Amino acid sequence: MIERGKISAGQMAIMLYLAITPTAILTVPSISFQYARQDFWISPLWAGTAIATVFVALRLHRMYPGLNLLQVSERVLGRLSGKLIGFIILFMYLYLDALVIREYGDFVVGAFLRQTPLIVVSGCMVLVSALAVRGGVEIVARFGQLFLPAFLVFFLFIILPIIPDLNVTFMLPVMAEGIMPSISGSGILQVWYSEFITISFLLPFVADRRKAAKSCTFAILAVILTLVISNLTTLLLLGELTDKYNYPFLVVARYISVADFFAHLESLFMAIWVLGVFVKICVFYYVTVLGTAQWLNLPDYRTIVFPIGFMITFFSMWMAPGYQELIFAIETTVTYYQLTAFVVIPVILFCIASIRKQVSGVR
Amino acid sequence: MVDRRKGWHRLTRSNRQKSSNANPANMPSFDQTPLAKSLAENLQMLQSLYADCADVVFHDFLIGEQTKAVLIYTDGLTNVEEVDQHVLAPLQQSLELQHTIPNIRNMISVLSIKLMRTIGDAVTEISNGNPVLLVDQESQGLSFGLSKWQKRSIEEPTAESVVRGPREGFIETLATNTSLLRQKIKGPHLKIKSMRIGRYSNTPVAVAYMDGIADPALIEEVMNRLQRIQIDGVLSDAAIEELIEDNPFSPFPQLLSTERPDVACGYLLEGHVVILVDGTPSALIAPVTFFSLLQSPDDYTDRYFIGTATRWLRYLFLFVSLLGPSLYVAVVSFHQEMLPTTLLLTLARSREQVPFPALVEALLMETMFEALREAGARLPKQIGSAVSIVGALVIGQAAISAGIASAPMVMVVAITGIASFMAPRFTAGIAVRLLRFPMMFLASFLGLLGVILGVTVILTHLLTLRSFGVPYMEPLAPLQVRGLKDVLIRAPRWALRTRPHLTGEWNKYREAPGQRPSPEKGDEGE
Repeated sequence: MIERGKISAGQMAIMLYLAITPTAILTVPSISFQYARQDFWISPLWAGTAIATVFVALRLHRMYPGLNLLQVSERVLGRLSGKLIGFIILFMYLYLDALVIREYGDFVVGAFLRQTPLIVVSGCMVLVSALAVRGGVEIVARFGQLFLPAFLVFFLFIILPIIPDLNVTFMLPVMAEGIMPSISGSGILQVWYSEFITISFLLPFVADRRKAAKSCTFAILAVILTLVISNLTTLLLLGELTDKYNYPFLVVARYISVADFFAHLESLFMAIWVLGVFVKICVFYYVTVLGTAQWLNLPDYRTIVFPIGFMITFFSMWMAPGYQELIFAIETTVTYYQLTAFVVIPVILFCIASIRKQVSGVR
Repeated sequence: MVDRRKGWHRLTRSNRQKSSNANPANMPSFDQTPLAKSLAENLQMLQSLYADCADVVFHDFLIGEQTKAVLIYTDGLTNVEEVDQHVLAPLQQSLELQHTIPNIRNMISVLSIKLMRTIGDAVTEISNGNPVLLVDQESQGLSFGLSKWQKRSIEEPTAESVVRGPREGFIETLATNTSLLRQKIKGPHLKIKSMRIGRYSNTPVAVAYMDGIADPALIEEVMNRLQRIQIDGVLSDAAIEELIEDNPFSPFPQLLSTERPDVACGYLLEGHVVILVDGTPSALIAPVTFFSLLQSPDDYTDRYFIGTATRWLRYLFLFVSLLGPSLYVAVVSFHQEMLPTTLLLTLARSREQVPFPALVEALLMETMFEALREAGARLPKQIGSAVSIVGALVIGQAAISAGIASAPMVMVVAITGIASFMAPRFTAGIAVRLLRFPMMFLASFLGLLGVILGVTVILTHLLTLRSFGVPYMEPLAPLQVRGLKDVLIRAPRWALRTRPHLTGEWNKYREAPGQRPSPEKGDEGE
């Protein structure tokens, strides 16, 4: 194995939580609101792909202990087709990482540093992440662990002062047209939920594997809870205006005013959010680098950290001409091919693997 | 000189080339040479070794007016009165006829007598200040433990002062330092291994640990790393530190240097290893974590509420000392909207006359402050106060009234300065102080985002760092809930039941359960 680090099941859960929540809080509400209207706070509850991917990843890992999705696909489908499937998944990770970088870059440039070139903002981030990824899975996990309390405290710090200004009537009527609007609103969220397949790459490094299933469940619940709370707060504060903003939650943060002194805390929001995105980028970056090294049978993954970093940076520049196109892409095409790579392929793999197991068991 | 590594050979060879007539060429040969039967032969060997050494005295005399003998000692390192009284006098007045080594041994009323068989032994003893006796027709010699080193008296440590608790500090003499440890831990469990490092300086180094508490693998690792050192001389423990640390490219210290025996003993009891170097009034402790650099012995002598509050204050000001100027630069140049309007107006008014951008202003003042600090540290004490007065005027009042710097900037610099002195370990404070300069640049390029990226890089570095295998940020990341009670807070003694995770796992509990005092327990006793 080219990674010698070990993480705990709790650290894995924290990595997943931080890999999914920060960008979901920021981008999802305005898209989700268009479909579900006042029910969009219910949407995070429909976490089908999260449960499916976690289930598949855990079962596959039980069948092939110590192997990740790429290695499993080689075992199940044979060398050539396995490598091919592996390439698709890896490419999706590369693409996803570039997508996150782009989201981050657009957010920072659009909301704060209007005159800074996008590539400077993205490039700095990739460089910093590369340093962490070079440290290995342990460093990324520890960073998440160190940073989680700050993220939670900050999250509450935004939510709590705003409670008096919330208007409960904005959420009425609840489920006026049944559950369908909330389900269609959750469609976009499945992109984020499908990222739970990443545990397949982390499970081989987990020291206490018995707790893995429990930790993953906990991570899913925590993500759902956080999204419900943030969506609800956004809804109750902004009501019908939610989808008029690119980043509704940023508007929430902007709204805070404590004792007339702590006002305009969006810069602080950016600071904390950047740290959250940092963990997200590191996790996917790490998976990309590790997977590529395994795919190419390299002895060490550290040598390709910077080359892949370059690729991510340029991918993120080529991704879309602007933020609106990026969001449009996420809503339409990205949803389909990410779900294909992260949900459909693993599920099919799992089916084939279990059939093969059954057959060989019968023999 | 067997078994030398390649690099070592290169060192000696280059020395030889530089000075063709100097000693090193013939020095390595004497080490294992046995002492000859004839006194003249031995003397010739030693005298050639100690040619041009005015402080080494060869005193020849006759034992009982018949046997030739020589007493060799180093002037100033040997207690001459004692040698006269207990060695020379009995030997010269001896009435015995047989002057063999065992006989002589019995004649001399000195506690520590050592038998020597080689020239190398003799040289070591002479270097240590022990007088050496060579007798004609004997292929053995005697050395007497009568050295008398110049040493400083034990004083209060200057760099680590405390309000309450012991006030003695280590001194330059190794034997005194080990005795200070032994005075606090009186038992056979305190082990002290000794070795010598430095080809020419032959500096004694002691490694102390608690048997049964410290992890044997850790002790072995420390010994291995120390034995790998091949150097000409060790003049301070900083040299040892730089040669055995895990990551040589880090601004953060990976070994803790302390002047206080009580701190060293505290770490010994937690399973750490203490390295004492002769000639340095401090001890090196390994392994350490980032948080041990932020602890002071006063945390444990104060009430634990106060200890906890002090720790939090220290953590807060650690961030201030790292981020103070960079946050100011970021807010003033990028995020003016974060400030309340009245504060913003005050700031704008005070910056109105300043001709520089915030970064230049900050760099100017911070560099000035560092220069003053360095000048103050190097100057004699009498002049030091003059520097501080001039400094206060220059970077304070005059800079503002001249319109070079704004008053808020001076305040930020002053607060940052105070904050950086709050780190109980000088080495930790100076690392953070250095890092705030790149942070200022980042803040002026990318605003708050730059600060965050800088912090991320520093944190990543800290998370990668290890000290003798122990993660530097332990117990925060990787999280060890048990360890937090002595890091996030200072838990009371009765709650500090377990030793730290990675150093104390070998022997987990330091207290019996149920140590919390309560009235019921007092009643039981009556």
